[in-house]
Amino acid sequence: MDVTLTIDNREVTVPAGTLIVEAARRIGIEIPVFCYHPKMLPVGMCRMCLVTVGLPVVNRETGRPEVDAAGQRVIRWLPKPVTACTEPVSEGMVVITDSAQVAADRKGILEFLLTSHPLDCPICDKGGECPLQDLTYRHSPGVSRFDIASKYHAAKAYPLGDLIVLDRERCILCARCTRFQQEIADDPVLAIENRGRDAMIVSYSEPAFNSHYSGNTTDICPVGALTTRDFRFHARPWELEHTASVCNHCGVGCNIVLDTRLGRIVRVMPRQNELVNEVWICDKGRFAHHFHASSQRLTVPLMRQGGRMVEVSWDEALQHVATRLRAICEQHGAEAIGGIAGARLPNEDLYLFQKLLRQVIGTPNVDYRVGLSAGFEDDIVAEVGVACGTDLGRVGCGTAILVLGSDLDEEAPILYLRVAGAARHGATLINAGGRATKLDQRATHVLRYRYGSATHLVLGLLHVVLHETNEQGRALTGNEIVPGRVRGLAELRAHVSEWTPERVATISGVPAEAIRAAAHAFAAAQNGIIIYGGEAGNHPALRRAIANLAIVTGFVGRPNNGVIAVLAHANSRGAEDLGIVPHRLPGYAPAERHGLNATEMVQGGVRALLVAGADPFAISARQVNLEFLVVQELFMSATAQQADVVLPAVAPGERSGSYTNLERRVQYFHPALLPPGMARPDWSILRHLAVLLGAGGWDYATPAAVFEEMARTIPLYANMSYERLTQPVEISRHMAHYIYAGMSYQSEAYEGLQWPTLAEQAMHTFVLEWQAPPPDPPTRGVVLVAPRVLYDGGTLLGQTQLLASHVVTSHVAVSPQDAAVWGLADGQRVRVAVCAREIALPCRVNPALPTGVIAIPRNLANNVAEMLLGEGQLFSPAGLIVEKQQGS
Amino acid sequence: MIRTIGLGAVEIARAMWITLIHLLRRPVTNQYPNEPVAVYPRFRGRHVLKRYDNGLERCIGCALCAAACPTDCILVIAGENTPEARYSPGERYGEVYEINLLRCIFCGYCAEACPTEAIVLEYDFALSVYDRWDAIITREQLLQPHTPPHIVLRDDTTLEPNWGQWGGVARPAGKAEGQASG
Ligand code: SF4
Ligand code: SF4
Ligand code: SF4
Ligand code: SF4
Ligand code: FES
Repeated sequence: MDVTLTIDNREVTVPAGTLIVEAARRIGIEIPVFCYHPKMLPVGMCRMCLVTVGLPVVNRETGRPEVDAAGQRVIRWLPKPVTACTEPVSEGMVVITDSAQVAADRKGILEFLLTSHPLDCPICDKGGECPLQDLTYRHSPGVSRFDIASKYHAAKAYPLGDLIVLDRERCILCARCTRFQQEIADDPVLAIENRGRDAMIVSYSEPAFNSHYSGNTTDICPVGALTTRDFRFHARPWELEHTASVCNHCGVGCNIVLDTRLGRIVRVMPRQNELVNEVWICDKGRFAHHFHASSQRLTVPLMRQGGRMVEVSWDEALQHVATRLRAICEQHGAEAIGGIAGARLPNEDLYLFQKLLRQVIGTPNVDYRVGLSAGFEDDIVAEVGVACGTDLGRVGCGTAILVLGSDLDEEAPILYLRVAGAARHGATLINAGGRATKLDQRATHVLRYRYGSATHLVLGLLHVVLHETNEQGRALTGNEIVPGRVRGLAELRAHVSEWTPERVATISGVPAEAIRAAAHAFAAAQNGIIIYGGEAGNHPALRRAIANLAIVTGFVGRPNNGVIAVLAHANSRGAEDLGIVPHRLPGYAPAERHGLNATEMVQGGVRALLVAGADPFAISARQVNLEFLVVQELFMSATAQQADVVLPAVAPGERSGSYTNLERRVQYFHPALLPPGMARPDWSILRHLAVLLGAGGWDYATPAAVFEEMARTIPLYANMSYERLTQPVEISRHMAHYIYAGMSYQSEAYEGLQWPTLAEQAMHTFVLEWQAPPPDPPTRGVVLVAPRVLYDGGTLLGQTQLLASHVVTSHVAVSPQDAAVWGLADGQRVRVAVCAREIALPCRVNPALPTGVIAIPRNLANNVAEMLLGEGQLFSPAGLIVEKQQGS
Repeated sequence: MIRTIGLGAVEIARAMWITLIHLLRRPVTNQYPNEPVAVYPRFRGRHVLKRYDNGLERCIGCALCAAACPTDCILVIAGENTPEARYSPGERYGEVYEINLLRCIFCGYCAEACPTEAIVLEYDFALSVYDRWDAIITREQLLQPHTPPHIVLRDDTTLEPNWGQWGGVARPAGKAEGQASG
């Protein structure tokens, strides 16, 4: 229902429930605010937004507004000013924002706020982009009647955790930070302590300000009270150059601004993209940019000569690579050559990488999945992925989200915020996982399955959907989809008939009633989204079951419906799309010849190996029959150390390109820096190599030319181009600057483009294939899992000193029950043995783990989990021994 | 005719008189560089960075001078004071401070913008250098008291103006001299 009101003599019609500030902003009237933030509930703490409000007088008899002799509505003015940020509009309301009275109110509030504000703008990191500064210039009296000698003083440079610095004098107690932590980040680690003049922001968490999202509070703090340790005193805001970029630390693909000064990144800020990260980024994305400026970057091509790495020219290095590859190809055939590319490379590089191997060299051996991710893939999203136009930031009531085997807070932090936000707005959230995760607190249904039984759980859900009816006796399957476009429904129904919730309950440990309730809740929603991650196991039958569940519930092919796979790296999605797997070509076309996968290549399946941005030899030594190893890298990784030729590559901030995020959104990023030394972008290295190997037509001058070819040859990117990827967002989708002051909006905002799934094509027929689930997991004994953590021991993260204390050190997490049985306490050493491999690690008792599960995070500095589990396994089979180390 | 000669003689005598008088006066020509040049107190020459009486630097690294500079010839990179290494009162100091004197137009805007009166245009005008890189003067050079022998202030003032006062502005209570920011 819409409501019409008058603001400063201008009529505006807005939906009922809109706040006065928002209604005013629609017609370009700016009401100054400090505590109000459109992403959070209003609190009315600062009183900056005071306006005069009048309501029409209604005749009680007729129920109609009274009019005076002149035919004007009679207005009853409220006796006191009203906070525009807390007051919803009503029909006929009259708001005045530009009277002398309102100006006097604003003056008074500012004068009052400044009595306890140090006004040390010259040394304040916010100075220059500070709402308090701006509004003081605009609305304050200019002089204070208060005695400067009685000015309030409090602690300055107070460390709130090791990332954020608090200046207590500057805080105006707007509670934006505490509300962000509580409402949005779900880490209520900040609070306001004491009252009146003594009120201050405190954090009692251990360690202080323990949150993956702490940096966002510095963006929304309307004064310089919260600043980051990273940016502290590094530049004044007006000295920065802003470059629109995309975060390269996980698959969410948050839009960021790289703020550079004197050729270095001095801070990373979120860039608003309501479809991806809204206005937030996580602390990893914000602080882990230091690898760009690391002194350990490779800057010169290196070649092994007589056992030593010597610096050579690009010509020499590339000529050598081409000669050796040609020789090996002639001697042993093209199949003796393989390539492993990292999923951090942008799309253009990945495309050229596979093109070089497949078309120029002629080998099918291409892969991106190394270490514990070997074998992990996602092939269902091309059919049943979330449809174009999906906006997790706007779903709520009527949407069901099933999260399966993913700890979003660690694996895809900003996706966590969006899923939690959907739950906050009334979405049904089913969190299915093998251990307790942070998302449980927001979940309406928590399904705690035994590790290894995720597939069975989905089959149980499928059983309920296909065999049961709701209270009204209606089938649970989705009406829009099921009848016309689906084949194999009867067979699937027959197959899942034996997977009753009761049977699944005995296998998975999830009570049958919980499965039933979750399935009913999921199917009852109008929109459904399934998010699955690595801890579910990634068995082909699991992926099939997830796709089937999405299809039979009808949650495909429409916006806000479909599947999201939580893949590990910034461009894992792009690597899947571009066929960086041995069995698929770009665009999900099946390969005629299946090549070797990364594990097979590393274990001696090939004689020459091209590695670009990956570290497949992190734990294993180079095989003897690997004659030639070329590595394109930023750093001297373990693989680079074993290489014959090391080619220095450029980091994302130094080049342009595009990444595809988890929701298949292709996003372009601009270069912000110059590359160090002689480093070259990977696509350019690959191009030169192809030319030296005699390929024709490899005359790409820029990544744009590569992307143009991708758009021409791969249907997924059919209507994409850099121009379309960088089309500015319509102004109506922006939030006005004054609310987000502190963010760099000098960079244009883009939203990127999603490629459409098969389900969105009206002619597509879904085939419900059946795949038998893997064997039941053992119900006894201990399983070892290797979850992902945000602050892992990766090469890039390791370059950021600031986060060093946050990086997870190797340990084995044990449930309190198991710890009691084994007589373990925090810090004691535990011997863990899997088959012949064993290791001793300090133990951490973790109540989030169920009995019988021990966890060693993957991708830590010394790769313990990888060492124990070998490659490609998520949980260990039998043969796991855990015991307290003697003498500890 | 005689009258004309007489008048001419008078004019010549007058002119000679002026010449004679000026022969006796002190010459205005300055034997620079053998003799120092006297400059007016508001002369705007080479910059210096000032210190407080207790030796701490006035500059807080705020870069407002750089922002005000019309030729963009000032580079300021700020640093953070620690208890072990304290350069200025308060939290922040100018770790790198450079002025490119080849670009500077000696407008004095930097001094005007400075909230702590740290950067001051003083009196040195002899700024030629052999290497153009030497025209970029650094914080270390700027912090040295700079009284080259070829300059004197005019008698009616002293070379060192009284920068130590908060010219008429009340100082925040409870803060020692020079703790403007801390
Ligand atoms: S620290 Fe900043 S965001 Fe938090 S209450 Fe104070 S002014 Fe508001
Ligand atoms: S959530 Fe992922 S993409 Fe977003 S800032 Fe964090 S690491 Fe980067
Ligand atoms: S005197 Fe003028 S031109 Fe010279 S540094 Fe100062 S502001 Fe810049
Ligand atoms: S000289 Fe003055 S204006 Fe310039 S950085 Fe130092 S304190 Fe700021
Ligand atoms: S009270 Fe309305 S913005 Fe703070």
